[in-house]
Amino acid sequence: MPGLPLSGIRVIDLTWIIAGPTATRYLADFGADVIKVEHEQAVDPIRLGRPIVGDSPTLNNSGFFNYVNRNKRSILLNVRHPFGMDLLKRLIAVSDVVIENFSAGTLASWELDYPEMRQLNERIIYCSISGFGHTGRDRDHTTWGPTAQALGGLTLTSGLPGLTPAGWGYSFMDHTAGYSAAIAILMALHHRHRTGEGQHIDMSQVEAATVLNGPAVLDRTVNGRSWRREGLPPGNRAWEPAVAPHNTYPCAGEDRWIAVAVTNDAEWEALVRAMGEPAWSRDARFGSNADRRANQDALDEHIAAWTAERDDYDLMALLQAAGVRAAVCQKPGDRVESDPQFAARGWWQTLPHPDMGDTTHDGVAPRLSSTPGVLQRAAPRIGEHTREILSEALDLSEAEIGEFAEAGVFM
Amino acid sequence: MSGPVAGLRVVEIADELGQYAGKLLADMGADVVKIEPPEGSEARRVGPFVNDEPGPNRSLNFWYHNTNKRSAVLDLEGSESDRETARALLARADVFLEALPPGRAAALGLGYDTLAAANPRLIHCALTPFGQDGPWAHYRVTDLVALAAGGPMNMNGYDPEDAPGAPPIHGKGDQAYNTGAHFAAMGILTALLGRDAGGEGQYIDCSMHEALSSATEVGLPHWLYTKTNIIRQTGRHAATVRTEPWIHRARDGKDVLVFNIGRSNESWGKLKRWMQSHGFGANFDEERFDDPMNRMAARGTPEAKEIFAEVSSFVGTLDAEEVYRGSQACGLPWGTVRSPDEAVDDPHLHDRGHFVATTGEGLDGEALMPGAPYVLTASPWELRRPAPKLGEHTEEVLAELRGLTPE
Repeated sequence: MPGLPLSGIRVIDLTWIIAGPTATRYLADFGADVIKVEHEQAVDPIRLGRPIVGDSPTLNNSGFFNYVNRNKRSILLNVRHPFGMDLLKRLIAVSDVVIENFSAGTLASWELDYPEMRQLNERIIYCSISGFGHTGRDRDHTTWGPTAQALGGLTLTSGLPGLTPAGWGYSFMDHTAGYSAAIAILMALHHRHRTGEGQHIDMSQVEAATVLNGPAVLDRTVNGRSWRREGLPPGNRAWEPAVAPHNTYPCAGEDRWIAVAVTNDAEWEALVRAMGEPAWSRDARFGSNADRRANQDALDEHIAAWTAERDDYDLMALLQAAGVRAAVCQKPGDRVESDPQFAARGWWQTLPHPDMGDTTHDGVAPRLSSTPGVLQRAAPRIGEHTREILSEALDLSEAEIGEFAEAGVFM
Repeated sequence: MSGPVAGLRVVEIADELGQYAGKLLADMGADVVKIEPPEGSEARRVGPFVNDEPGPNRSLNFWYHNTNKRSAVLDLEGSESDRETARALLARADVFLEALPPGRAAALGLGYDTLAAANPRLIHCALTPFGQDGPWAHYRVTDLVALAAGGPMNMNGYDPEDAPGAPPIHGKGDQAYNTGAHFAAMGILTALLGRDAGGEGQYIDCSMHEALSSATEVGLPHWLYTKTNIIRQTGRHAATVRTEPWIHRARDGKDVLVFNIGRSNESWGKLKRWMQSHGFGANFDEERFDDPMNRMAARGTPEAKEIFAEVSSFVGTLDAEEVYRGSQACGLPWGTVRSPDEAVDDPHLHDRGHFVATTGEGLDGEALMPGAPYVLTASPWELRRPAPKLGEHTEEVLAELRGLTPE
């Protein structure tokens, strides 16, 4: 779409599952022409991912796929066919970015590594997202999001003391690797603008995870103290800064929780007043932050008794009005149906989908004042844009496209 | 070679919220001047500290998140002349990254309208917990509170048999702040490319709440399409139905992530031979295990149950790293559940030069910390200087403003 900051940037998107498609979703939201290259013999598994609208998966009715791949176009290209590979190379020659999240070595086995791409297009920015990067002794190891979370240290930091880690409950690192890749691509585009130079971005999903816990690494390399020790992870209590109270507390209803964090004495006083200054709150055991830290079991028990019969959103409003940092642990349904902030800011948007009807989507974050991101179209049906892309980008005639179709290139 | 955003002038006012976005730019070449109050950024009071002794220059949290920046102390709350200095800095800056509460920058005379009048090319990114407007705009958070509201936290937790009545769990490491910072950096760079393409600067309203809600994978689609809230499970994906456990205890007491068993016939064959060579999985040669659909988790098949039980026993006979490396040789994406610092012991990461040495007050010599989240081969990540001491560059920055070179 003209006028968007990334309009005119053409991205050949060879990614699948979540990490790569998350990066290209961001780029597409801001106007990049993201061309998802697909092959019927190896479809993106998310095209079959639940939730499915209808009785069985058709490749075009996954709500999950629609959520991750809005604003993109789809071309069917059988890259195992020599004509298909040739068309892919011709597309790369007229594009700005190629992105893939295969295992290291896959594109090299297609004879399409970075030196080859550079032959086709000197200015190309090639972003590979693999588990461990394209160099180093373990480059052939594979990851999914949870693997990167485990090896990078995120899984272990989430849990109740003494129990198996709770982990992250989803592929947080697919999102985060995607955002890191988007940042790297945007930086490389700026670098190219300044210098004319393209480059290879070698992303490792594990490294995108290890950078998220720098202070814990320094605690070991400076202070000789590992995070693997008694009392850690501390559940929902604080690690650093070491404050209390800092926890989740039950509210009225089934599986309803409020998170409350008090970061200094003034906020503690505010919490005490909000609770109606109960006698227990003046106990010397809770006088200073150090006292509250030392007596968290008793402290948390008192606060939980106060929250347990109360409505979580009412509590959030009461506490925030008093100057206490608190929020409902929102479920997906809460965010869509009850969150007044999302409602007031018009966060949820609708896009029509040919197979699924009107579908709801996140808005675009962050909000750029003069060139805001736009939801233009739902996720593409498989191969939906094959002909228009070849006609636009490569100037192929209907007759030429027809010949390729007969040769079995678009499948 | 220099970083891709070398020469970019950034002015940052940020503490725990926002400092990582500034780091992402600084580490790739930007000149980030961090304006701090006389008592220093709040983040300087966040532990752990060198030898557990607090002090403005001893916070490891601050060391990590402020590499490659310069620190200038300006009393924005108390001094009009310091506010004037900040405006002068912003008049020649490309980017203003601030994480002040909504309205605060304008109250200090640093609102976008004022700044843009003097410098229309300025990209002003305001990162806040909930955005600039709306009923929660002035609500305050910590990392815990932000992850609760934004949704990621509600997906992490326990099976009832592991921890009855357990709440959603807060994963540590300031991941709400990190996600907010990723979105701020993406927004700043997007606006920068818009400027490269001939546009002017602009204002960015970056809500951490919107960023976090966008980062919850399949959580929202299940609600949006089937009005189902997925359920939390111990150490594995929240789902609509209970699935087989993924975390298993190895011989050395460390846990291993064990999943995606038998998706392909090739990896299943290798896993079977590996286990059988250790005396496990004798019955896996039975024909019923040949069908990938029988082996697939979360379908309730007896084969999947048997496989997971046998794998669990097998894992208990090896050390965690042996399980990790053995599984990868089979093409399986298992991994040791490492403590964050244990990545330092991984030779592969050293092959890639992932860790870099830094230093600071109270440390003799240097210590390793993670380096780049990405390798840009033509314009690499670089540690040019460690995190600044409080006010270390005040004079230098003021001298530059006066058009003088510091002595």
